[in-house]
Amino acid sequence: MDIFGQPGFAVLQGLITGVLTGGIYALIALGIVIINKASGVFNFAHGYMMLLGGLLFWTFFQNQQLAPIVAFALSGALLAILSTGVRYPATWTRGGRVAFISVAWAASGFILLQTDNLLLRAIVGTALGTALLGLLIERLTIRPLISQPLFTTVMMTLVVGEVLLGVTQLTWGSVERSLPIFATTNALGLPQAYPPIRIRDVLGGTVVIKTELLIAFGIAVAAFTGFVLFFRYTRLGLSMRATAENADLAQAVGLRVRAVLAVAWAIAGVLAALAATLHGSSTALAITLPGLALRVFPAVLLGGLESIGGAFVGGLVIGLAEKLGTVYFGSDVGEQLIPFVVLMIVLVVRPSGLFGEKRIERV
Amino acid sequence: MSANIRPSGVFDTTYTQEMRINRTRFDQILSAGFLGVILLLPLLSRSGPFGIDLVQPGFIGTVERIAILMIAVQGLNLLVGYTGQITLGQAAFMAVGAYSTAILMRGGVSFWVALPLASLFSGVVGLIFGLPSLRVKGFYLAMATLAAQFIIPWLLRNPLAPLTNGSSPLPVPRADLFGQEISGLSLYYVLIIACLLAMIVARNLIRTRTGRAFVSIRDNDVAAELLGINVFAYKLRAFFVCAVFAGLAGGLLAIEARSISPDRFDLRTSIELLAMLIIGGAGFSQAPIFGVSVLAILRETLIPGITPTLQEWLPRLLPFVDSVNINAAIAPLIFGVVIIAFLIIEPRGLAYRWEIFKISWKLRPFSY
Repeated sequence: MDIFGQPGFAVLQGLITGVLTGGIYALIALGIVIINKASGVFNFAHGYMMLLGGLLFWTFFQNQQLAPIVAFALSGALLAILSTGVRYPATWTRGGRVAFISVAWAASGFILLQTDNLLLRAIVGTALGTALLGLLIERLTIRPLISQPLFTTVMMTLVVGEVLLGVTQLTWGSVERSLPIFATTNALGLPQAYPPIRIRDVLGGTVVIKTELLIAFGIAVAAFTGFVLFFRYTRLGLSMRATAENADLAQAVGLRVRAVLAVAWAIAGVLAALAATLHGSSTALAITLPGLALRVFPAVLLGGLESIGGAFVGGLVIGLAEKLGTVYFGSDVGEQLIPFVVLMIVLVVRPSGLFGEKRIERV
Repeated sequence: MSANIRPSGVFDTTYTQEMRINRTRFDQILSAGFLGVILLLPLLSRSGPFGIDLVQPGFIGTVERIAILMIAVQGLNLLVGYTGQITLGQAAFMAVGAYSTAILMRGGVSFWVALPLASLFSGVVGLIFGLPSLRVKGFYLAMATLAAQFIIPWLLRNPLAPLTNGSSPLPVPRADLFGQEISGLSLYYVLIIACLLAMIVARNLIRTRTGRAFVSIRDNDVAAELLGINVFAYKLRAFFVCAVFAGLAGGLLAIEARSISPDRFDLRTSIELLAMLIIGGAGFSQAPIFGVSVLAILRETLIPGITPTLQEWLPRLLPFVDSVNINAAIAPLIFGVVIIAFLIIEPRGLAYRWEIFKISWKLRPFSY
């Protein structure tokens, strides 16, 4: 059976792969939207944060030994986040807070240095490392630019990307690396991918679904849901939304606006690493990963710059458009042209996106 | 934004004086001297007629590339610095100019016909991607030009591949002048004169009605509309001029490099051009001189100079660094740090500092 001149199973394959990769795109878009919501800065460096985060995960996951100084630095990041970013329940005494921070610090240090479970160590280490990265970027490059024109902040995030690229190349080089986290070990002790799921005889062919991609999609959706709940029900999430709505008013009711901005960058850093890891587990970690984030920018604009739900819809739409475009016109059109054509259409037809705030001035 | 403070006793009595670029004798001597040094440079190198070995031949190449990039950055300055629109697609417009020149010349058209045609064509392409400025501004416009930065190289790589050689380099034939091939010394003078002409055109454009309209759109677009300026038409004009300058730079780059490929005109090139503008000082007509010189000398002289030392020392200081990677990593790292420092410490750029310096020099020994 043919659908618009292409065999039906190929179109179905495109649809399924599109939705599954769209989940990862949504996670990338969420990282960009969170920063934009909190501080009004569009983070062009997100792709480079992803690259660094993914390679950090790879390092923790592969290396057996970890220098104590690295573990110490990363636990220090946890300490910084817990002592500045989190707003504790009012009933907690000072002693209770100190005890909580100390226990968390000790636990993370123990996991980083002692555990044999590489996956757990990689998750803790990468989360702390990328949160630290986000905090550093915010403190060193974005905060000094308060009250500067838009052009300066755009330029700054572009250039931060260059610096992160330099750091990445200095440390890891530009070798492509596989990240077999969703895999079993075969008889030789080498990682082996799970067999893909095959659906036979659908619409005149076999549809193949990569198991890693399916798991990655599941984790992406779970993480996305987690963040939506975080923004709706937790104190920190609510104060982030309040800051995004009106920073002056938020400050007037006693929210610590600067801490909230710092935490937004830390969360975006963790999200970037998560998206890179999920993407890397289904393909590989390559130096071209920042290009993926560029293709997600249209998703952010399509969903609306401030809309978290929009990020999800936008990610899925771009994923679908890319994969279906690949089925119909080949991968050079699907991956290199279609996202940017979508971007142009969004800008001309509805610049505020599907769910964004309508505040575009026309002169 | 030029210096309005003059030494005591210097007054304008006529309109001509008011409109002069070089107001004082000292300014005239300075600019004539600068021009003289630039024009004499190749004569003092080993390949020059006198055989004096004062200037490294490699440095002449650096000056040639500075001249080319200055044209592109001046175009960007007109659009970003004077009109206040953001574009992330300047390298793509350079690619249009470079490829049009190369394709026309390969088809047998003379370089002197191909270059203006290519610049104009690049301007028309710029107009097309400037059209979203009717509906959106600021950040959204940056996104639209980002789309240009991806769509144009895609067109060059895929559908136009029979003409452009796709992703592989496209060789460019030699240009000729009065029957002589342009190379070496004559190439240097062609590039310098083209750059000079472009600078003069840009400097004079700013002093016209159009230039004043550009500045008024940058400063307050609603007020500009109320003053009777057709904001959209002038924005489009700014896009056109910007892309024409980019196309001119691209065409000159094609005959200088003799071979072009789409990788030369990627997003990072666009960012670098913007960085040159920021370091130079957006909204100052001297910005390209400062910005391009600083970044080009950093890239072509300083970074190759310190790389061997770093390759020896950095792996000792930081055990996780492999000296093989330093070569690729050092350029983005140093560039990034320099530009971040400028954005934080002096976002108005070197040209602004230069104005401040000139004013305080004129007012010496008093501080006001």
